[in-house]
Amino acid sequence: MDLNESIVNTTMEVFSGMLGMEVSPEPPAEPGMTHIDSISGIVGFAGRAKGMLAVHTPEITAKAITGGFLGIEVAEINEEVKDAIGELANMLAGSVKQSLAENSSEIRLSIPSVICGDSYTVNAPAVGQGLIIPFRIAEGRFFVEFHLVETEA
Amino acid sequence: MGKKILIVDDSSTMRKIVARSLRQAGLEDCEIAEAGDGQEALNLLAANPVDLILSDINMPNMDGLEFLRQKAENAALQAIPVVMITTEAVADIVQQVKDLGAKGSIKKPFTPDQIRETIGPLF
Repeated sequence: MDLNESIVNTTMEVFSGMLGMEVSPEPPAEPGMTHIDSISGIVGFAGRAKGMLAVHTPEITAKAITGGFLGIEVAEINEEVKDAIGELANMLAGSVKQSLAENSSEIRLSIPSVICGDSYTVNAPAVGQGLIIPFRIAEGRFFVEFHLVETEA
Repeated sequence: MGKKILIVDDSSTMRKIVARSLRQAGLEDCEIAEAGDGQEALNLLAANPVDLILSDINMPNMDGLEFLRQKAENAALQAIPVVMITTEAVADIVQQVKDLGAKGSIKKPFTPDQIRETIGPLF
């Protein structure tokens, strides 16, 4: 299974199984986009695969996702929203790790980091695979980005 | 009287999702305790015994593997069953947590049905 397929499958699994929300993938885009009024959850990869996976969510989408996770209506961007987007990135990164490695020690994942702001870009080394997969839910779009290079180590 | 269940995860969102899934899995009357990492869980367990522990693996401070090791060395805690809930359900991790005494592993993302199927036999 390639990374694109793994990310699409896991994202749909999270949204249907844990959020009860319909989500549809859109054609992949090139990395380097600017995120406006957004929150991003980022997980680093180390070991046999190096790089990162990020989930970029505009605020309205982030609130909808958090509300789906917690079963409540979320009115503002708060610590719960940041934690929820970090955990979403964590679940997707775990799935990617599982598709890349048979043994857990081959690839290590960081604890999720979360950034938010009114305008920012995320830059990663231009090596290996780099892709952004847009997804759409009823409230809007969000983006899953990964940059990974596999090594022999 | 409901069972007392300790949820150990550094994500407050995930702790709430697990608690909600327990209720959806038929454990409406269970009493939930929460800890943000393994050390916090050990501290809590020292004064508040529980019937079941559901724990993440990848956590800051003390991760789930070290938590299992220290719990296994504590005679007062050895009998409490632990089920791991983790994004890292790779085969060797599943075996490692089993060797450390965990009664099962649930991969994130999960459904309430998977929670019920895994923890049901433990009660």
